[in-house]
Amino acid sequence: MASEVQNLNPTILNVADLPTRLGSAALSKAGTDRVDNLASIFPPSAYSNDWPTALYSSSDSSDEEEVLEEQIDEQEIYDLISSISDPEHPISLGALAVVSLPDISIKSTLPDVPESVLQTVSVLITPTITHCSLATVIGLGVRVRLEQSLPPRFRVDVQIKEGSHSTAEEVNKQLADKERVAAALENGTLMGVIAKMLETCR
Amino acid sequence: MSALQTFLLVVDHDKQEAKQIAERVAQDVENKKTTLIEVVQSLGEYINDDDPILRGKAVSYLTAIIKELPAKFLSRQQIQVLTTFFCDRIQDGGAVAGLETLQKLDRFNKPLAEEVARAIFEQFQELQSRSQSQRFQVYQLLNELMLNYRGALHDMGDESLVGIVDLVTGEKDPRNLMMVFSILKVVMVEWDISNHAELLFDSAYNYFPITFKPPPNDPYGITAQDLKDRLQDCISSNSLFAPHSIPSLLDKMDSTSPNVKRDALNALIACIESYDPNTVSRYSITIWETLKFEILNAQEEFLSELSLLVLKGIAKRLSEGVSQISDQLPLAQYLRPITKECNEQLREPQQKQAKPAQQILSAISSASAPAFTLIIQAVVAPLLTIYQEADGIAKQRALLDTLSVLFDSSIKVFGEWTSRDAEVAFENPLLEFKDQFSEIFGQALMGAIKEEVSFRISALKGFLRLSVLRDFFQDNEIGLFVQYLDEILLKEESVGRDDLKKEAIVALTEISKHKPRLILDITFPAFVATLPDLIEADSGYMNTLDVLAKISVEKDIFETLVRRLLSKLSILLQQEQSGSVEYPRAILLTILYVMNQRKMEEDPNLEFYYDKIVVSLCRSAAVTATSTTTSNNILRDATVLDILGRVCNLLVRALPRNKQDEIAQNVYTLFTSAEEFQPVPFAPSPSADQKRTMILSTFILAGLPADVQNLPYTTNPNMSALLTDIATRATGETELATQYAFLRHLALLANKFLPKSDLPLASDLFYTLLPPGSETSEVVPGTIHAVFWLSKALILRLAPTTTQLLTSLLTLVSSPDEATSLTAARSFSILLRDDEILSATNGANIRLLSKQRVFTTLTPLISSRIREVNISSSTSSPPQETQHIKPAHLTALSGILSTITPDLVLPELPTLLPLLLQSLDLQTANSTPVRLATLATLAVIIRDNGVPVIDKCGHVQSLVTRLLATAAITRANHHPKLRVDALTCLYLLAQAPTDAPALARAGRLSPLLAVKSQVVRALRAVLDDPRRDVRKAAVDARAAWLRGVDDAPEEED
Repeated sequence: MASEVQNLNPTILNVADLPTRLGSAALSKAGTDRVDNLASIFPPSAYSNDWPTALYSSSDSSDEEEVLEEQIDEQEIYDLISSISDPEHPISLGALAVVSLPDISIKSTLPDVPESVLQTVSVLITPTITHCSLATVIGLGVRVRLEQSLPPRFRVDVQIKEGSHSTAEEVNKQLADKERVAAALENGTLMGVIAKMLETCR
Repeated sequence: MSALQTFLLVVDHDKQEAKQIAERVAQDVENKKTTLIEVVQSLGEYINDDDPILRGKAVSYLTAIIKELPAKFLSRQQIQVLTTFFCDRIQDGGAVAGLETLQKLDRFNKPLAEEVARAIFEQFQELQSRSQSQRFQVYQLLNELMLNYRGALHDMGDESLVGIVDLVTGEKDPRNLMMVFSILKVVMVEWDISNHAELLFDSAYNYFPITFKPPPNDPYGITAQDLKDRLQDCISSNSLFAPHSIPSLLDKMDSTSPNVKRDALNALIACIESYDPNTVSRYSITIWETLKFEILNAQEEFLSELSLLVLKGIAKRLSEGVSQISDQLPLAQYLRPITKECNEQLREPQQKQAKPAQQILSAISSASAPAFTLIIQAVVAPLLTIYQEADGIAKQRALLDTLSVLFDSSIKVFGEWTSRDAEVAFENPLLEFKDQFSEIFGQALMGAIKEEVSFRISALKGFLRLSVLRDFFQDNEIGLFVQYLDEILLKEESVGRDDLKKEAIVALTEISKHKPRLILDITFPAFVATLPDLIEADSGYMNTLDVLAKISVEKDIFETLVRRLLSKLSILLQQEQSGSVEYPRAILLTILYVMNQRKMEEDPNLEFYYDKIVVSLCRSAAVTATSTTTSNNILRDATVLDILGRVCNLLVRALPRNKQDEIAQNVYTLFTSAEEFQPVPFAPSPSADQKRTMILSTFILAGLPADVQNLPYTTNPNMSALLTDIATRATGETELATQYAFLRHLALLANKFLPKSDLPLASDLFYTLLPPGSETSEVVPGTIHAVFWLSKALILRLAPTTTQLLTSLLTLVSSPDEATSLTAARSFSILLRDDEILSATNGANIRLLSKQRVFTTLTPLISSRIREVNISSSTSSPPQETQHIKPAHLTALSGILSTITPDLVLPELPTLLPLLLQSLDLQTANSTPVRLATLATLAVIIRDNGVPVIDKCGHVQSLVTRLLATAAITRANHHPKLRVDALTCLYLLAQAPTDAPALARAGRLSPLLAVKSQVVRALRAVLDDPRRDVRKAAVDARAAWLRGVDDAPEEED
């Protein structure tokens, strides 16, 4: 791999500022959260007489709990890939703003066939500098992560964001070419780098 | 044959014999039967022999004799002659040992020491070529001379310096080196080395870096670290080495080995600590220039940390003796390029290298007050300018964080309000910027839009640091900050996870330790004012109580809070109509929380709390229970009584013994007179309200010591009647909370207060409740619970009947009546579960081995019972009425498993694992808890012991298949936690320590490899689970299997 570090001093976003699911979800429920604030500082049993059968009765009731389907959404994709580390720095792609929430989209693969469950995930990546030769590796890493983590009905499409890279077209061609991707994944050294990037995935 | 000849013959193979010969001759010399001269003369022919071995033996003969002579026997003259003789003969074996003996003698002297040293130095080449142990002897002799006649060696000056260096050159043995380094260090520190500094330095530095690895089972126990430490002591011993040591050590920073760099940095730290400040100053900038790369482009965290320590060390040394701060100080010259570099990096505070720049400033500014002052003067103004010009909040935030780092250093240098160490002589340079800071941080905290949580948190944290910094803010300025915090907590809407509010509470708590007055004057009134007097009010009080509870750690605040809350509570209790009980309960809960945080036994107001809470509130509760007129229901509510009971329990435990004896009489009367209230035990027909007061009685009883006096109904003649009464009431009770109180009360009496000699009373009660043969018919749940609680009490103290009790309980699970079987099975979790009343805190009698006893008794019984059921159901179609028996036993097992520690499980694993796998096969909806408990146990087993233990039992395939089945979404796995837990187990399997290198060496493949493709394929389907948390667990599990389970190694090309 390239021994020279290409971007010595990239800008880093604060982890607390990255988009998370909790932020929006808690907002809607904030009112209810607040009431049992005090309870949160006690063990749950301090409040009630925890009868041993409580577990049994509650499990029955949770059976009726909403079978609410939680669709795979952009935030979920973001959570999957933002914790990948950059091959150059021990910093996550999210913190380096290489991947960002607005640059992820999920669409139906066949919009003309409404009953089709096939979906396409598109991810645009923004390299930290325009001539970064590692853009392909990052793209591959994102691709591998998504293919390992999404059900088979999803198609994955990873591209370099327009205008963010000097040879974006070339890289995009590489990333889109199934055979070249497959060949790259046979390469032991390359897979070693990608495995290292994926180690930090949470 | 003469003594000498015999000696020469035996010395090689019989040391004992040789020693005896020497002793005899020595005695002869002492008794004047022969003279020393004769002895020496007898050596004549041998010491001139051509054979060096023979010569050596002859000299050893003389040495051996001298060794045996008394210390004062030899005259000065004799010593002198012998010394000269040995020095001449120093090449011959035994001479060194002889000299060592001689120099110990009282009449040895300085000139002789000099002579010996000279002899060694002259013959250094010969001595170097000797074997390790002989060289060791030489060093030992030199070392002894260093200890006893250092003056003589010192006076030899350069001669001894060069001599020693020549002698030790080329030494490689670690044992010898340990000695060499310590000899060298003495020379380095005490000799005048100005002529030979480089020579002396090289003699030690040649060994840097030390790469020694001790052989296995090394009998001498010398580690690389020992050598490194001594070498480092040498390198850092003299400032004159600096021109050689510092450039060489800095050169080592080009090494590719992090370990070499670590050693070099450690040596640098040592040099800086011991060289004189002028020398340190001369090299300070060179060191900075080299080390800054280690920090700015850190390869390894520890190298960056060590480099920071070097820089900090320099700043500390250069600050020594500084009383006036000026630009001309060496310290200022050292800091100039550093602050310049940091300012440069901090211009873009969000970029990666801003972080190391912060670390540099943090390390150096915390070194001393002068260093801090110089850094503040150079850094703060530019930072403030960048802040004013910053174009985004993220950038401003990074700057606030940088300033906070400096505030931290300020606290380290100048202390907090509560610090006890002496005040610093310098004025805090931050004072110059006080108003600006106050404005910037205040503006950022209160002026930013509410959604910028992390920005506001940064501001809050910075402000907090300044508020606790000693002698910085005035009280009114901290008061302003406290008001901001109050406003955030009381007026602002929640945002996201409420992180800002959490931080605000932390900040108030912190300030309360330093400035309790401000909290009492500002925060308290503001918060207490929001507490309603009426119950009908909104639920905002929860928030208020929450904050008050958390900030009331300081003594005065705690006291005020409890008094205010108690008066609120009494207002609520006096009202005609009571509404919801939640508010008074929350008040009690707050009191409980704050009391739990403190050591109540040391509280000066303990008596007051006792009167107000234990006596007066319990009495009110009892009176309310009998009264038919009061419509205030607060003290009739079981949950209120529960919390009140906990507070009483806490106080009763804290009270002195004589008070406790007094309380014992009132356990059931609850401090009332006979007319007001009738105690529950033995009462003919108490009302439900009356019986509910047993909650209080139970908590109070739990707080009393086991040997308390005056406990009612226990001594006349014994506890039997009371136990029976409570058990009967527990069995028939319909109200859950009250029944629970009776059950715990029963257990408490049987476990803690029943004398050992009276234990049969409890067993009798057990068999009265559960007569033999009752397992074949229906038993009511109340009775089952009573016998389980009674058993719990007896098992925890390991009563002699423990095994019988457990066996009897287990027969209930085989009951043909399904309800009885199931209730009994579920009750097994009662036996060992931690209980808040029957606890070690409350002095319950809990034997350490009780858990193990229960587990090892029950597991084989359950296992064989299940095997019986399996066999009978495979031979004939199972009769309807026994189908529930197997699940019930598995339920009982899971109840036990969920309450014991995993280390007890491991020895029983071969028996247990098949049972656990069968539990996973259960499909009914009400088996969910059993399966959850099973998965929890499996997760712990896998996490702590890895795959090998499961592989050893031969269950990897069946376990994986069942886990996959449980992870798939089906009717039976409806509960999402089941699926998540199954996936967690799969994740842990691939993640667990599989002892991979050992396997690889043995050429064995991971036992998981056989199932890898099955798992990876099956998990792909789980990735489409409708629940997000399940999908997340599936992603993690799948990634772990893809990454952690290695394929078969590919054929070498």
